[in-house]
Amino acid sequence: MSHVDAEILALRALEAGSLAAGDELHLTQCPQCQANLMRLAEIVTLARSGGVARALERPPDRVWQRITAELHADEEAASEDPVSRHRHPASRRGLARRGLGMSRPSVAARRRLAALGAVALLIGAGTAVGIQQLTQSQLAVVAQIPLRPLPQFPQWRAAAGVAVMARNAAGLQLKVTLHASPGRGFFEVWLLGRDGVSMISLGDLNSAQAGTFTLPPGVNLAFYSRIDISLQTFNGSTSHSKISVVRGSLPG
Amino acid sequence: MSDTDADLTRAFQKGHADALPRAYERFGPLVFTIALRSLSSRADAEDITQQVFVAAWRRRDTFDAGRGSLAGWLTAITRNAVTDALRARQRENGALLEAASGRQVTTAPESDIVVERIVLADELARLGDQQRLILMLAFYAGLTHDQIAATLGLPLGTVKSQIRRGLLRLRARMEADDVTCRR
Repeated sequence: MSHVDAEILALRALEAGSLAAGDELHLTQCPQCQANLMRLAEIVTLARSGGVARALERPPDRVWQRITAELHADEEAASEDPVSRHRHPASRRGLARRGLGMSRPSVAARRRLAALGAVALLIGAGTAVGIQQLTQSQLAVVAQIPLRPLPQFPQWRAAAGVAVMARNAAGLQLKVTLHASPGRGFFEVWLLGRDGVSMISLGDLNSAQAGTFTLPPGVNLAFYSRIDISLQTFNGSTSHSKISVVRGSLPG
Repeated sequence: MSDTDADLTRAFQKGHADALPRAYERFGPLVFTIALRSLSSRADAEDITQQVFVAAWRRRDTFDAGRGSLAGWLTAITRNAVTDALRARQRENGALLEAASGRQVTTAPESDIVVERIVLADELARLGDQQRLILMLAFYAGLTHDQIAATLGLPLGTVKSQIRRGLLRLRARMEADDVTCRR
């Protein structure tokens, strides 16, 4: 007799007694179908055991700031490279201040971290690429900025983005990636001034919702401290549409 | 695992500059919620979240995507960090004697269930609205597939196939994460 159809097994996992007599008989004799049913039933049991699934909680923004601060501390400890000395003053100071302002990991926490590293090593069991190589590749990254939707634009609540600021020979670059449902129009990336009015347009995102932009040389990032992505319509206007999809702040 | 998760996993492994913030955006709530519900302390959960992402990024070259998902790897690191934190608490609470007497110090038996439920909730949240609603009605409201079809005004065949695909996807996620937990 043929195996029980996957769709029917899934329903059986949710409802006892939902099988036709022939399928029920097959199930009593077929270890493979029994195992498949068991795996589905485990999911159902797990789901029902906890009551209605509670939504996950987002960690507060300061956790991300602490992560970047700790990884930047790595880089600076690993190198006296000129790149790390000549970062843009605003972002560099900002990171340092955040790093100092937050509670530094205690000795116990450092030990835990070392243990964690060892655990990760065990789990991965892959090839060990040199740490030096790892830090070299990160050196030029000045800041990694999560971009989040704004409460006043609920239509974009599922949107998210990331802006990575990096320094290369040409100056400061911003690599922007957005995840948003495509709207009617196109996405434009802006630097937004602290006064909430001044704006510099950096350019448009491509069809993959990504783009790399060179920041204007000499731009004051202590003032133009926010990154904003707008949805623009094809109406010929060069100004911000006042529809913000996501926004993020530079550290500092 | 969805396409974007697979893409993120590759980017993380290769150390692309945007992979860490993307991973944090995607899995920060998973890591934080596991820590928070296991430890019932926001400050501890924040510390653990920081530790997990810093450790994962520093050691990303040891992550083997062929052996499991990035979510599973991060979950495993989180579990270990939570276990460590619980042990530290036990010591602080004077349970040192118990450990010294040779008895194994273990985490609360329900901690695995806590993690599994959170992973399940995470994957449920990743389903499309219609599919999630169908599964919620099947899981929690205890509706039969006929009742769900009538309630939502959908063809019975649609409800059945959505339930099957949804359950298989949840199972695949749980298994992908579980595989990664084994050393």
